Amino acid sequence: MPKHKKKRLGVRIDMTPMVDVVLLLLTFFMMTTQFKAPEDVEVIIPSSHSEFKLPESNIMMVYVTKEGKTFLGVDSQGLMEKLFGKEARYKRAIEVDKSILGNTLIQARINNPKLRTVVKGDKDAPYGPMEDVMDVLVKAQITRFNLVTDLERGV
Amino acid sequence: MAGADVAESKSHEKGKKRKKKRLAIRIDMTPMVDVVLLLLTFFMLTTVFSKPQTMELNLPPDSDIRVEVAATTLLIIRVAPNMDIYWNMGNEPTALKKITFKELRPLLAERFHNIPKLITLVQIDRAAKYSDMVDIIDELNLANITRFSIAPLKDLDKKLISKVAG
Repeated sequence: MPKHKKKRLGVRIDMTPMVDVVLLLLTFFMMTTQFKAPEDVEVIIPSSHSEFKLPESNIMMVYVTKEGKTFLGVDSQGLMEKLFGKEARYKRAIEVDKSILGNTLIQARINNPKLRTVVKGDKDAPYGPMEDVMDVLVKAQITRFNLVTDLERGV
Repeated sequence: MAGADVAESKSHEKGKKRKKKRLAIRIDMTPMVDVVLLLLTFFMLTTVFSKPQTMELNLPPDSDIRVEVAATTLLIIRVAPNMDIYWNMGNEPTALKKITFKELRPLLAERFHNIPKLITLVQIDRAAKYSDMVDIIDELNLANITRFSIAPLKDLDKKLISKVAG
């Protein structure tokens, strides 16, 4: 019997290091997690082979929905308020007619010259509105912009 | 050595009392560890590291400066709705050939190989889909063709297409 008791004591493990690591991991994941805010505009993006990552900040996002409507959003709340008024502060994007889109883009760029233009178009959007948007962008001297796409694997 | 021994035994004796006190504040950490592990799995499963990909597009600035392009190096790709692709070289403006999207990649590779100075013009019908444009530009990027431009598909082009399509 005493022999058996000794064996039992032998399998006791010190869990402290494991708990330390687990707590470290936990803090890491808690700090890095950013919960996605619900999008104001629902857009299903097309896929491409491009592996260029979307920049983290200073983004000006032009949405083109399936119906061909255009929305504009910037990632800073202050600028949203400046451009579209108080109610827009907590919105991600506001519908903007194509006729005033150019002016709004220029205003946004005056306020923050570092803004990068990103176009997020729906997969099923007709090409017509997209052509208009690109026309507006070029007219606003934005000749370099990014299209948001999903990564397509394989061929 | 002896001194050290004595000291050790002394501290041992003192330590006995202290150890007893210490034992009194031992806490069972199991529930905490359980909760922490639960939280950890939650955050690990919900975290998405992938960020959206983007495709960079450079368009020529809107100016009235006309760039003269040798017709022999110009490849025109016209896209009608339903992803019907027609292509021709600049020096044979009416000889449109229809190809499928799958045939586009070998064509681009072959053209680019034969004509390194190749300039591509993509004209897309307004009724086509946005994803068609993304697909075509993606093919151009895959073929390493950086010199391409996008132009609207005019009525004249539509007539050419309808002629070929019959």
